[in-house]
Amino acid sequence: MFNYIARRLLQIPVVLFVLSLVIMGLMQLLSPQQRAAAFVTSDKQIEHLDQIIEKYHLDEGFLVQYRLWASEVLRGNLGFSRISKEPVLTTVRKRFPASMELALAAFVPIVLVGVWLGTQAATHRDSFLDQALRVMAIVGWSLPTFVVAIWLVAWVYGGLGWFGIGRLPSSLLIELAGGDFRRYTGLFTIDGLLNGRLDIAAEALKRLVLPAAALVIVVSAGIMRVMRSSMLDELGKDYVRTARAKGLPEKTVVYKHARRNALIPVITMAGPMLGRMIGGIVVIELIFNFPGLGEWAAKAALQLDVTTLLAFVMLIGLIMATANLLVDVAYVIVDPRIRYE
Amino acid sequence: MSSRASLEPKRELWYESKRFRRFRRNPLALAGLLILLFFAGMALLAPVLTADRLPRGCMRDLSLGRSEARQALRNPTRPAFWRAAFAPPKSCYKIPRVSYSPVPKPPSARYPLGIASGGYDIYYGIVWGARTSFYIGVLVVGIVLVIATMVGGLAGLFGGWLDNLLMRLVDVVYSIPGLVLAMVFASIFGRGLIKTMIAIALVAWPIYARMLRGNILQVKAQDYISAAHAVGAGYGRLFFKHILPNAIGPMIILASLDIGAIVITASTLAFLGLGADVGYADWGQMISFARSWISNPGGEPLKYWFVWFWPSMAIALFVLGWNLLGDAVRDALDPRS
Repeated sequence: MFNYIARRLLQIPVVLFVLSLVIMGLMQLLSPQQRAAAFVTSDKQIEHLDQIIEKYHLDEGFLVQYRLWASEVLRGNLGFSRISKEPVLTTVRKRFPASMELALAAFVPIVLVGVWLGTQAATHRDSFLDQALRVMAIVGWSLPTFVVAIWLVAWVYGGLGWFGIGRLPSSLLIELAGGDFRRYTGLFTIDGLLNGRLDIAAEALKRLVLPAAALVIVVSAGIMRVMRSSMLDELGKDYVRTARAKGLPEKTVVYKHARRNALIPVITMAGPMLGRMIGGIVVIELIFNFPGLGEWAAKAALQLDVTTLLAFVMLIGLIMATANLLVDVAYVIVDPRIRYE
Repeated sequence: MSSRASLEPKRELWYESKRFRRFRRNPLALAGLLILLFFAGMALLAPVLTADRLPRGCMRDLSLGRSEARQALRNPTRPAFWRAAFAPPKSCYKIPRVSYSPVPKPPSARYPLGIASGGYDIYYGIVWGARTSFYIGVLVVGIVLVIATMVGGLAGLFGGWLDNLLMRLVDVVYSIPGLVLAMVFASIFGRGLIKTMIAIALVAWPIYARMLRGNILQVKAQDYISAAHAVGAGYGRLFFKHILPNAIGPMIILASLDIGAIVITASTLAFLGLGADVGYADWGQMISFARSWISNPGGEPLKYWFVWFWPSMAIALFVLGWNLLGDAVRDALDPRS
């Protein structure tokens, strides 16, 4: 097991290496001037692009360039983001908590809704409820995230005037910038509670509802479908018949016996689901005006800020690799039959 | 002669098979098929449906005058009708601009779905956008199949270190969320429909390459392959005549049904501003025109509902059609059911 984890940990740098090779390779399609931005660390340097091109040999071959870029990255310099007008790492540090807060707010409802609806569909197999849920899942799976987000903004926020967009109202943000509000975690909901500022926590929570709901609608459909089919598999197995035969109440059979085993395939889905969630967060942050990493990357893509995009993809690669490793470990904990060598 | 025919086992025609019957009785599959037929009809008849509002460049390229266009494009005996239906010039995909006003105008008799910000005729964009969506879907699936066949074929056929290397590449591409990677590729390639499609294809191929490799490994282990090899068939013949035809079927079917997912990615990229050129009839881009008119514009919520409603419904229904169909086909192909 430990060997397995160690080997997987060693694979993460390899993944990042290949990823950077692919993207740097494609970047050769750009002009040396555009690539030069990857080496700029301050606002002033932008004015001396020619010198940078010369200094970093940007008009030379791919291997020379890659080696230089990699040595900068290893020294902790991921480049300068034209979009946020500061070094990439500074922006990542500033914006990560916002995305994290959104992801956390969406994660629990996604799992609960997906697992619960999947269980209901399976236990009421072929009933009207099951059919309705199946249709709902396909519809949810078919809706592009940005369409859901726009519908929510237009109908719920615009039409009904409920909840809010943005992360906090600007009046509160100004107050936070000057006051003695301590940022323990960077998550406004939790920091608000820790600072005893319930109003801030409530405002932050209110503005998380719609973006999180958009993620729940799009992502939980997938979990529901896996949950339904794996629950049907489990309910057809012998141990369920035995449990029923010995007179256990149906509730115990379903929730204590079948559902626990049915959850195992759902854990496998965690990786793809996280991927879908990250893709969704990019678009949702842009539409809900939520100042996280996704919004930054979406704006960078539009401005062809390749430095920012490269750093963003590497970060996502790191997150996904870590998440997949955690999934594998969780697998062993949940299902003792599984052994890694 | 007749006695010999009766001795042969009765050949089951495809529409008599259990799989097809199960598919036909599935109401969801029929709904999906109907939705897609609706969009296909709209796409094919686009010149007819918009004969009275074609942009000037398009009429010029079809060498038709305005009044002439109305009749010629609605008359199947005229060559222009067929040319416009099957090979319209590129200029026909440009949404005609009614004005340059940034304020959208509500639906009217002349512009039944309204006018978007920038004076774009929404009806025209929706109708020709259906063509764009089919075009994107079919072409991306085509590119994906080519890449997947090459990578999966090489990996499955030769195995060894090449297999290992290619499958690690698959792992890496597969490990990054498709939308994020497509966004980066599209950003590097720059704006343009073809470039966007290449960016999406470069992200979508790994799962099919892996699928094909698996199928090839299965087929390779069959006796008839060893037999063919034993009678002296070379690698090329083995691969193209014996292995590939028997391994490629499921991949082609599943990849074609993935058009829904491809259109989601394509429209998202277009919404982000990484799609076709500005003004191209593309549903995702039409929603990005609507960006500033979505939430409570000018204190009148939902006043400009039409700017985002029609294109978003078009995308949602189009993808739904593909997914309903795809779900049913997957069920029918699943050997367990």
